[in-house]
This record gives sequence, structure tokens and C-alpha cells, in this order.
Amino acid sequence: MNLSILVLLPFLGAALPPLAERFKASRTLLALSAAALPALALGLMVAPGRRVIDGETVLSSVQWLPSLGLDLAFRLDGLALLFAMLVLGIGLLIILYARYYLSADEKAGRFYAYLLLFMGAMLGVVTSDNLLLLVVFWELTSLSSFLLIGFWSHNSVARKGARMALTVTGMGGLALLAGVLLIGQVVGSYSLGEALASGDAIRASGLYPLILCLVLLGIFTKSAQFPFHFWLPHAMAAPTPVSAYLHSATMVKAGVFLLARFYPMLAGTNLWFDLVTLAGMATLIWGALAALFQNDLKGLLAYSTISHLGLITLLFGLNTELAAVAAVFHIINHATFKASLFMAAGIIDHETGTRDMRRINGLWRYMPYTAVLAMVASAAMAGVPLLNGFLSKEMFFAETLQSDRLGAMSWVLPLGATLGGVLSVAYSARFIHDVFFNGEPVNLPKFPPHEPPRYMKVPVEILVALCIAVGVFPSLTVAGLLAVAGTATLGGTLPEYHLSIWHGFNVPLLMSVIALVGGVLVYSQRRRLLQWHARLPEINANLIFERAMQALARFAGAFSGVLRNGSLQTYVAWLLAVVALVLLSQVRPHLLNGERPLLPLDGVAVLAGAMLMVAAVITAILHRHRMTAIMSISVVGLVMSLVFVRFSAPDLALTQLSVEVVTVMLLILAMYFLPVRTSPESGALRVSRDLILSVVVGGGVGVMAFAMMTSDFTSISGFFLENAKPGGGGTNVVNVILVDFRGFDTFGEITVLGIAAMGIYALLKDLELTSPRSDATGRPWARDAHPLVLVTISRPLLPLALLVSVYIFLRGHNLPGGGFIAGLITSVALLLQYVASGVGWMRYRMPGDYHPVVALGLLLAGVTGVASWFFGHPFLTSTFDHIHWPLVGDFELASAMLFDAGVFLTVVGATLLMLANLGKLSLLDDKGGNAGQIGDVGERGDA
Amino acid sequence: MEVIMALMIATLVGSGVYLTLRARTFPVILGITLLSYGVNLFVFVSGRLSVNQVPVVGMSENPSDPLPQALVLTAIVIGFAMTAFLVVLALRGEGELNNDHVDGGSDGEGG
Amino acid sequence: MEHLIIAPILIPAFAGMLLLLEVRERQHLRRLTGLLATLALIPVALGLWHQAATGEIDVYQLGDWRAPFGIVLVLDRLSALMVLLTAVLALPALIYGSRGDDRRGANFHALFQMQLMGINGAFLTGDLFNLFVFFEVLLIASYGLALHGRGPARVKGGIHYVVLNLIGSALFLVALGLAYGTTGTLNMADFAVKVNELEGNSLDLARLSGLLMWVVFGLKAALFPLYFWLPATYASATAPVAALFAIMTKVGIYAIARVYGLAFSGGALAGLGRDPLWIIALVTLGLAAVGVLGARRLGEMVAYLLVMSVGTLVAGLSWSSPEALGAMLYYLIHSTLVCGGLFLLADLVARGRGELGDRLEVGPAPIGRGLLGALFFAGAIAVVGLPPLSGFVGKVALMQAVPAPVYWLLLLGGGLIALIGLSRAGSSLFWRATGDGETHSLDGPRLAATVALLATTPALAIWGEPVLEACLAVAAQWAQPSLYIDAVLGAGGSAL
Repeated sequence: MNLSILVLLPFLGAALPPLAERFKASRTLLALSAAALPALALGLMVAPGRRVIDGETVLSSVQWLPSLGLDLAFRLDGLALLFAMLVLGIGLLIILYARYYLSADEKAGRFYAYLLLFMGAMLGVVTSDNLLLLVVFWELTSLSSFLLIGFWSHNSVARKGARMALTVTGMGGLALLAGVLLIGQVVGSYSLGEALASGDAIRASGLYPLILCLVLLGIFTKSAQFPFHFWLPHAMAAPTPVSAYLHSATMVKAGVFLLARFYPMLAGTNLWFDLVTLAGMATLIWGALAALFQNDLKGLLAYSTISHLGLITLLFGLNTELAAVAAVFHIINHATFKASLFMAAGIIDHETGTRDMRRINGLWRYMPYTAVLAMVASAAMAGVPLLNGFLSKEMFFAETLQSDRLGAMSWVLPLGATLGGVLSVAYSARFIHDVFFNGEPVNLPKFPPHEPPRYMKVPVEILVALCIAVGVFPSLTVAGLLAVAGTATLGGTLPEYHLSIWHGFNVPLLMSVIALVGGVLVYSQRRRLLQWHARLPEINANLIFERAMQALARFAGAFSGVLRNGSLQTYVAWLLAVVALVLLSQVRPHLLNGERPLLPLDGVAVLAGAMLMVAAVITAILHRHRMTAIMSISVVGLVMSLVFVRFSAPDLALTQLSVEVVTVMLLILAMYFLPVRTSPESGALRVSRDLILSVVVGGGVGVMAFAMMTSDFTSISGFFLENAKPGGGGTNVVNVILVDFRGFDTFGEITVLGIAAMGIYALLKDLELTSPRSDATGRPWARDAHPLVLVTISRPLLPLALLVSVYIFLRGHNLPGGGFIAGLITSVALLLQYVASGVGWMRYRMPGDYHPVVALGLLLAGVTGVASWFFGHPFLTSTFDHIHWPLVGDFELASAMLFDAGVFLTVVGATLLMLANLGKLSLLDDKGGNAGQIGDVGERGDA
Repeated sequence: MEVIMALMIATLVGSGVYLTLRARTFPVILGITLLSYGVNLFVFVSGRLSVNQVPVVGMSENPSDPLPQALVLTAIVIGFAMTAFLVVLALRGEGELNNDHVDGGSDGEGG
Repeated sequence: MEHLIIAPILIPAFAGMLLLLEVRERQHLRRLTGLLATLALIPVALGLWHQAATGEIDVYQLGDWRAPFGIVLVLDRLSALMVLLTAVLALPALIYGSRGDDRRGANFHALFQMQLMGINGAFLTGDLFNLFVFFEVLLIASYGLALHGRGPARVKGGIHYVVLNLIGSALFLVALGLAYGTTGTLNMADFAVKVNELEGNSLDLARLSGLLMWVVFGLKAALFPLYFWLPATYASATAPVAALFAIMTKVGIYAIARVYGLAFSGGALAGLGRDPLWIIALVTLGLAAVGVLGARRLGEMVAYLLVMSVGTLVAGLSWSSPEALGAMLYYLIHSTLVCGGLFLLADLVARGRGELGDRLEVGPAPIGRGLLGALFFAGAIAVVGLPPLSGFVGKVALMQAVPAPVYWLLLLGGGLIALIGLSRAGSSLFWRATGDGETHSLDGPRLAATVALLATTPALAIWGEPVLEACLAVAAQWAQPSLYIDAVLGAGGSAL
């Protein structure tokens, strides 16, 4: 049967409890709904499990992302089977336990859902046959444990603990990803099987040290190895079932699982030995030491977990096959006794309302049954004979004696191991003696405590039974499973070993004895030790971590605040600086000696050029005297159009001229409404910076222009000159290009105009501005809104102007002119009416809303374009025919002219939509008795 | 002639750049306008200079390059639309922030 | 159906015109028009993708003038993909906007359509100057949209955005002037051919033209040091607009990819500006990650995440191998849709928190805390690139295709920093929040639109293989500019 279904089951199961909750299921029913699918998975595993015991390796694979080498490939070998059984088996016990642990008002549905998500992720980790897939599940365990640890999200400790765990393990996961990708590079595949097979290649490759460090970073963070152990105790803020699950059989075991899984791939080198053994040793002792000094029941268990993980890591580090087997064995044992201990602690917490060992004493009298269970379990933890912990401890001691990697320093390992043993005995003793004896309870929140509900004890009983069974009859119980798991771990043949309680008098036994006796001695000195410890400065990792994070965030905020300082001037400076950089890096003097002959100078041009430059500079310098600036900039505009005339671009000249008029109107409006500011504001530093930028950019562009003008080139324009008349039906090539060859540009261009008008209309809607009574120099604006002269001149001008624009429009296709210019002339003429007679007067004669005009213009242009479809041509294909028209003469009537008419309409509509609304804007002020209209402004502008 | 033209472009762009770096909306508008003038000239001269060679069929034996003229015409129109929008935006800023600073009155250095 | 190519431009164009004709402020009518037009884009885009997927490149000669003289629209896999992505993003954004945000100012729907016209035009055109025109179309529309709803913050952000882009447009014109002044053509394919025949000053000028284009496109794409305008502008824009803007930065990236792939991937100016782009992209990635961590508002955070994705993408692009481009395109699809969804989500959260809005401070629980929390969780996982969602797939693909230690470091490190930032944000928004928001009072369509966008990330992961294959096919075509050039100019190569 397919393994992927097996892994999928818990994920599917995660959906059931919330559903059940929605239907108001009882707590028992909820627990059942949660247990259903994991149980099924466990059942389904029996069949393949048998084959595995018989030495087979069950594989199954479904394609997911072959081009990444990421497939849903799963493998069930001894190691995977062992862990899968732990994950599912203990998981089920946890669900049963949680049924009684969670109080009625808690969102049990969500809790089980998270738990099952985690279970599925864990199952995936241990059964993946694809390295990338393994990383996927690995990160999923981090994410789901984040949800579990933070389950009591109202509690700040839980939130912080969850975030810390996510950050640390998440970081490790990313490192692992990098490591796995490198392995993939070396092996050429992400299949675990192939990777395991090519261990030598990996160890030989130059990337090996990097790979090892990255992978170990992932492992150590997950398994809380020193110095990444600090997150684990804070994960205890989670509900106890979670702690019992994550920190006995699963989450933290994922790390050591990976040590086992990658053993054939990465182990066997001195680097491996040094890194893994030392980290393990440090963790073993540090954890045991810290455990001894905890006053919190769960805290003690948390640190003892760290210590035992260190032990397992150390074993893997020793690079001997037997050590690896011992490690696997201890994984099993630790899972069983630690899970039961956490549950026992949970029961005590549940019954007494506290976990403080300074208050919980002498519970023997109140809950003897639980006491017995807890005592057996902690005895196993201490490594007392006849219990499973003893066996693996014994092997551990033996192995530390074998290693000679450290040469003369080899004695360090057994010494450290014994010390660890001593301490673990000591804290186990404390767990038993402090809690169940050692006088009377000290004002417990719940008193008197009594035994928990029957079924809350069942999981503990089962696990404790296992501890004893394994401890007494190892060969009958665990041997088989351990054998296959060991074989899978080593990826080869199993070394010679026999599990038995009695190996005769030997050094390991001596070490065990020392550990037991020494532990008891240490415990007897606990008072002095605790006093000594109390005097030490307390380090709260949680606090430090939070502070660090906050500081980091604050720094980040400040830093990006400096970059993104909200000043447009800075941003513009950045942009121009980049441009300046490009120019400085590329513009070279040799650009100035182009091959093309220069046109002869002539006085007029020089004069005009000089005028333009002076005017531009004046605008730049005197921009604070706004009226002056406007006048000078209009001079620039006018000279521009002269330049266009001079260099044979009449259309441009006309356009420039008409645009100029409207622009000036706009500028004057801006000046009129914007506050007048005459005081220079910027410091010399900024001015010089800006000057440098302007000189570099301006100069650079100038040089490029010169280089361009003086270098020869061949262009596609010949085609336009040839085809304008035959193909486009017009002699004014520029206009033909606009409405025909590149009509699509024009289509876009008038769209821009239309949108601009829309946007402006939207901006002006219900905008209120106060119009000043006088201008910058304090001269009052003209009172006379509509001077008679202007009115009398402008009214007759209108029909005339319209006539002109019609003429310009019609000739446009053949002579300078065209829809755009005609449009602008018309709008200027109409605007003049606004100017002269005021918005009020116009409103009776013109539509108030020009949106439709714009729309019609665009539509006309667009429809003309689409029309050509019906003649089987692409968008905007033009056609034309000769006709004779009185007055205007003989010319082609081109469909492009319809398009041009669209341009005309759009231009008129857009211009009026903008300016007429600006006029309305100023009309608002009339109520204030102040005639601040385009009229007055326009008049001044022409002055 | 090319020299004059290059100088004109340089001056327009340069003064435009300087003005866009000011802190008040009005000079920035002027700056954008000057900048677009200069850039339009730049595009215009990409067809090289020629005198009295109007690109109208039959009016000149060796007409000037019409394509840049068409491009510039488009650019002028678009530039006009953009300037108009910017002007009104400046007014809007004045109306909403009661201030004509480009950063809406945040006390950045002005000018 | 030969005219289908121009449909993505004309449909929104005409819709926009009709919306202008509708003067009587009949909101329902406007919504209907806008939604129908946007909906229509999806089948059209699918059809175009189907057409392009065959591998042949279709050229549409506007006005029936052959390239390089007339303007052509070119449909290759790359442009088809971008058009499709735009359509998929636009519909949810508009649905969200049609729930009231469109009332907060004039002409929302018309501007929205014109924006789409501009974006699609930019993706489809094969002509440099026409690209400029469509840039202007989408910019002017985006100005209007960015300011939609007004409010001081928007106006301020708007002024910055507009001024910077006006300068950008000016630079673009300079670049175009140089392009025409040296090669004498505007058609991209023709330009690509001609630029390799240049020498002397002309070659130097062409190089300058290219570099200036990178600056302009870099401004559009929001690369360091040109992204500073983005967070404020996007964070202050109304949610649907911000969501749509998620594609805007990609227009810049597309433009770089297009021009680089055609003109500068080989020949006289091979690899033009590649190394600077690589470095700048990495800097952008790093700085944006810092920005995410330091953000004080959810919207701002998402904006920085968007900038992060830009850095990630441009780095992948400037690696300029087909594999890298394929992976980059997958990540582009993912980041666009997810960031769009997160912008909408940020707004949904803000709505339920009254005065606080989307500020990352402890306050009342957002309406529908559980649901929004779950969405946020999923979105965060996707955007930082944790499994099992599309972000992870994209990052793995990119890391496989771009084996550069510094890139890996920034990609993973940046992801971690973003993870820290997002977990802090989520914790204070959803966990520490006081009280418990009600689920039922969430606006249905708004929620649906948000979910629709965020639901793409599991979809992109589950069907990751076909998507990746499609992206790689796009990249393979991109890596052979000759295909494009021959399609446009006819197998003869240059036209002159």
C-alpha cells in the first residue's frame, strides 16, 4: 500500500475535530474524532511494518515537482518504522491524555487540529525518501509547533516562547535547506537513497565542511543542542500534553533522527566527531546541571530532556557503529520515560494547581498511585537497573571508553559521561523526593490533591509498563525493532552486541555505580547547592531574546527611516545621482569629435539660443519671484517654437505655441492659488549639491546631444517620406506618421490626455482653496472681473478662431496642422471666452461636463481603428480617396482624418475639462466677494 | 549650429534639474516643464539638424527627418497632460495640507 | 482570430471610454461595466496564452504597416504570461474595489480600466517609443488611482510618486532619443539587430541609451536607490489600488527582461549593466528585508515585502540564464498574487480595528479574527518562502538556478528576517488583540477577493510542476532572441 496515504492521514484527520466541534460534539467524541485517523494509520502500518522487520525497505513515490527534484517519495525502513511508531503511538496516548487535561472551555477542536498537523509533519520527516521533501516536513514541524506552543495565545509567555521556537528552529530549517541543496549538487539527486549511497563522494567533496555545518545547524537548533538549547525551556509554556509530545518523542527528536538518518552520509570524519561529540557533551552536562536547579517541575524535565538529547548526540558523534546503535536505543527509552514523566507532571499540576517544587511536597500521601508511576519513570531516567534507561546508559558509558580520537585527552569523555550520569541521578532524585516526600505541601492552590480520573493515568501506565518490560526483558521486547533500526541507521551490517542486564563486573558498571551513589550524594547537598545557585545572577533567555528582537526591530525601523526619510528632494537627488553616475562613467571627451560636418552658424539662431538659455537660467534663479519666473519660462516656450520653425518643424512650432498658451494659464493659476514664498530656504550645502547635479546631468545630456548630432546614422524615415503620399494619402509626412504610420502612438497619447483630464477632474472635485486678495508684491488682484475691452474683442474672435481651427484641421493631412493643433486652437478660443466673460456666462452656453466630449473623441478614434477590421485589416489601417472640395481644394479624404477628428475632440474636451473646472474652482471664491477667476489671472499673464 | 543646440539642451535640462530639486511645488512644476522642453529638443535633434527642409512631400528636395518630429509632438502632448496633472495635484496638496511643500509641510529643508 | 492580440488593450480602452460617457454617476452601471470588461480579460488572456504556448510568435502590424516602420504588437510566451497574470490579479482587486472603495472619489472605474490598458499595452508592444507611450498611459492612470480617495497621506505620497515618475519619463525620452539617434529605428527587434552593427561614438551612445533605460525601468521596478517612494505610496493607496499596483513593479522588470533579452544578451553590448543590476538587486533585497522588520504598519510591511520580491527577481533576471529566468518568472507570479492578496488582507484587518487601522500595535481584535488570522498565517508562510506553499517552491527553484552563495544567504536570511517581522506583526494583531471579533460581519465579496488571491499560493504549489514547466518554456524562448527578431522582421533579419 502507498506510504504517502499513511502520511496524509493525520493531515486529513486535522479537519475532523474542528468539524466535530462545530457540531457540538462531546469532549470524548472530539478526542475520538482526533484519534480516528492516526489509529488507522498505525493499523495500516502493521503490514509494511512486518516486511520491514523481515529486513525489507518499503518505498513509494508520487511525482510532485520533478523539475526541482522534489517528489513525494517515502521510505519505510527500520529507523523510519521505529520513529513512525513512536510518533503515532505516543501521539495517540497524548490525545487520550489531553481529553482529560484540557478544561471544558478550551477550544479543544483547534488544539487537536494543530496536534494532528504536527503529527503528520513529524511522520513526514521520519518517512521522507527525498531530501527536499524532508525539509518541507521539517519546516512544517516548526510551523505547527509554533501554533501548539502559542496555543494559549492570551498568555504572553506562550506567545514569546512560540515566536522564539519558530525563529530558532526556522533558522535551522533554512540552514538545513541550504545544506540539502548543496548535497543535491554533489550527489546530483535529492533522493535519500542515492544520497546515503554516495556518502564517500560527499565526504570527499570540498563542500563537505559547509554541508556538515549547515545540516548540523539545522539539527542542533531542532534538538536544542548547546548553544541553541535556550528555546526549549520556554516552549514549556505550551499545554502539558504538547510538551509531553514535542519534547519526548517528536519535535526535539527530529534533530537526533536526522543525525541517525544522515549518519551513513556525513558521519565518520574527524570534523563530525569534534562538532557532534563536543556539542553533545556540552549539552549533556549543561542541561543536567540546569535541571538540578529548576524549581518548576516542567522546567526540570525540560532541561533533563536537553541533557538526554546531548547524550544521544554525543553517542552519534563517537563515530562507532555500536555507539550509533546505543543512541537509537536511548532514543526509544528516553521517549517512553520522558513522555510518561511529562504526563505525570501534568497530572500533578492539574491536581495541585502549581508546578513549583518548593510548594509541592509529600504528595505520596495524597496520590500514591501516580507517585509510583512517576517514581518508576524517573528511576528509568536516572538509569537504575532493571529499567530501560539503565541499559542504554550502560552502553553509553561503555562507548565513551572506546573512543581514542582525543588522544591523551580521551579520559575526558568517560569522565564527562559519568558526571552527566551523576547529575541526572541527582535531579531524578530531586523529582522523586521533593515532590512525593520531603515534608508537607506548602499552601497549594488546590488542596487536598487527589488521584486524577482513571483514564488520565492509562497513558502513563502503558509507558511505564514499557519502561519495565524493556528494562527486564530487552531481548524479548525491543531487540528486534532495535536491530532493524540500527541496521537502517548504519546503512550496513549490525555490529556484535547483546542487550542484557548483566555484563559482569566492568568499568561501565563501575561508572553506573559511581553515578548512582554520586547522584544521591549530590542530592543530599541540595540545600547548599540551591543557595549557591540562588546567589548566581539569573539569566532569562526569553527576556534577552525579546529585548534583542525589539532592539533589532527598532534598529531596522530607524535604519530604513534614515534611508526613506520622506523627503522628495532626497529621492529626486538619489535618482539624479544615479543618472549622473551613469553619465560620468560613460560620457567621454572623444564623444565631442564626431565625423558629421556642422551646420554653419547664423546670427538669428545664436541670438535665439542665447535668449532661450538666459530665460531658462533666469527661471531657475528667480523661481521665487513667481511672476517673473512665469514670464521667463513663457519666453523659453516661445523661443522653442521659433527653434522648431528654424529647423524645419512647423508642426512642432504650432503645437509648442498652442500648448505654451495653455501651460502658462495653468502656471498662473498655480501661482495664484499657491502661497507665495519669497524667503530662500535651502542652505548653501544643498544648493551646491543641486548645482553639481544639474551641471553634471545637464552637461552630460548636452554632450550626448552634440555627439548624436555629429555622428552619422541611417534611419527608417526614408520609408515614411516615400510612402506618405502613396500609402498614407497625405503630403505632410509628420501628420501622416501621427495619424497613420504610428497612429497607435497617437491613440495612446490622446488616451493619456483624456485620463489626465479625468484625474484632474477627480482631484478638483470638492477641492476648496482660499484665493489671496493680492499677489506676491502686495499688489491687489484686479477687481474688474471681466474688462469690457477683453469681452468685446474676444466674442467676435470665437467664430474666427473656430474657422481657423477647421481650416488647420482640414489641411493638416497635407500641410502643417492637424487635429491636435486645431483642437488646441479651439480650446484656447473657448478658454478665452471663460477668461473674458467668466465661467458663469459660459455655463449657459457650454456643457458643464466635458467627460462625454473626451469619451466621444476617444471613441471616434477607437472606432475608426476598429472599423478597419471589417475590411480585413488590422487596427487603425487607413484608406483614402480623392475628392474636390471648394475653397480647400483638391485633396484626399482619408479615413485617418476621422481618427484625427477623434484627436481633435479629445483635445478640446480634455483641455476644457481641465481648465473649465479650474475656473469653477476659482468661481467658488466669488461667494467670498473676491473675483479670483481665470479671467483676471489670464489678463495678468498676458500683461 | 549643433553647438548652440547642444548648449540650449544642456541649459534647459540643467536648470530643469535644479528646479526639480527645490522644496516647493511651484518651482518643481517649472523644473519639470523646463526638463521636458530640453528633453523634447533632445529627441528632436536625434533626427539631426536641417534648415528649411520641411518634411512635406514636394516642399523640399531633401526633407528633414519627420519621425522625431512626430515623436516630439506626441511627447509635447503627453508632457502637457502630465504638467497639468502636476499643477492640479499641487493645488490639491495646498488644499489638503495647507502647505505647498513637496513633503506636505514636513519640516524638511526647503528651497 | 488574428485581432485577439490587441483585445487586452482595446477591451479596457473601450470600457474606459464608455465609463466616461456615463455621466449620471450610476454606480451600479459603472461597476457592471468595469467588472465585465475585467472578467472578459481572463478568457482573452487564456486564449492568448494558449496561442503563445505553441511556441510560435505572433506579430500584429498596426495600420497594416510592416515592422520596423509601423508599430507592432508581439505575442510571445513572455508577454502572454504577463497579460494573463495581470488579468488574474485585476479581477479580485476590482471586485474588492467595487464594495465601496470606488465611491471614495471620481472616475475610479474608468481609471482602473485605463490602467489595465496601459499595463497590457506595455507587455504587448514591440516598439520602444510605443512602450514609452503605454508607460505614460499606465502612469497617468496610476497617478489618478494612487490619489483615489484622497486624504493628506495620499496626496503627499502622490506628489512624490508623480514627480519622480515625470523625471523618469524625461529620462526615458533621452534614452529613446539616443536609441533612435544611433540605430535610426524604434522597433525593438530592429533595434536589437542594428545595435550590433554600431561602432565608435554611436556604440557608446547606444550603451548610454541602454543604461539610461535600466535606470528608468529600475525606477518603475523600485530597485535601490529608487524604491523609497514605494512604501508610502502603496501603503497609503486604497487597498484595491495597492493590490493592482503589485503588478506595476513587474512592468519594470518585464521591460528589463525584454530589452535585455533582445538587444543586450549577446552581440556588441552583451551583458550591458548586468553586474550593476545584480549588485543593486541584492542590496535591494537586503534593505527591503530590514524595512519589513522595521515597518510600523501592515500595509507598509507588505510594500516592503513587494520590494524584497523585486530584489529577488531582478537578481534572478540578471543571472540571465534560461533556468534562472524560468525560476524567476515562477517567483514573479507567486509574489505578485500573494502581495496583492496581502494588501487586501491588510485592509480587511484595518477595517476591524477602528482608529488603529493597520498599525502594528495592540488593539481590538479585527473582525473575523480567526479567519483573518489563518489567512495571514498562510500569506506569511507563502511570502517568506516556507513550505509547503509557492514561496518555498519559488525560492528552491531560484536557489537551484542561481548557485551564488551571497544570493542564497540573502534569500534565506532575508526570509528569516521577514519571518521574524511577520510573526511579531501577527502576534500583536491577532494574538495580543483584546476581545474577539465576529466572523459573520466580514464583507463577503471583499473576503472572497482576498481569499481568491491568497488561494493561488497553494494552487501554485500543488500544480507547481506545470507552472514551472510553463515558466521554463517562456525562458527558453526568451533565451533565443532570434526567434522574436525573425518573427517581427521576417527571417531576413534587419529591414534596411
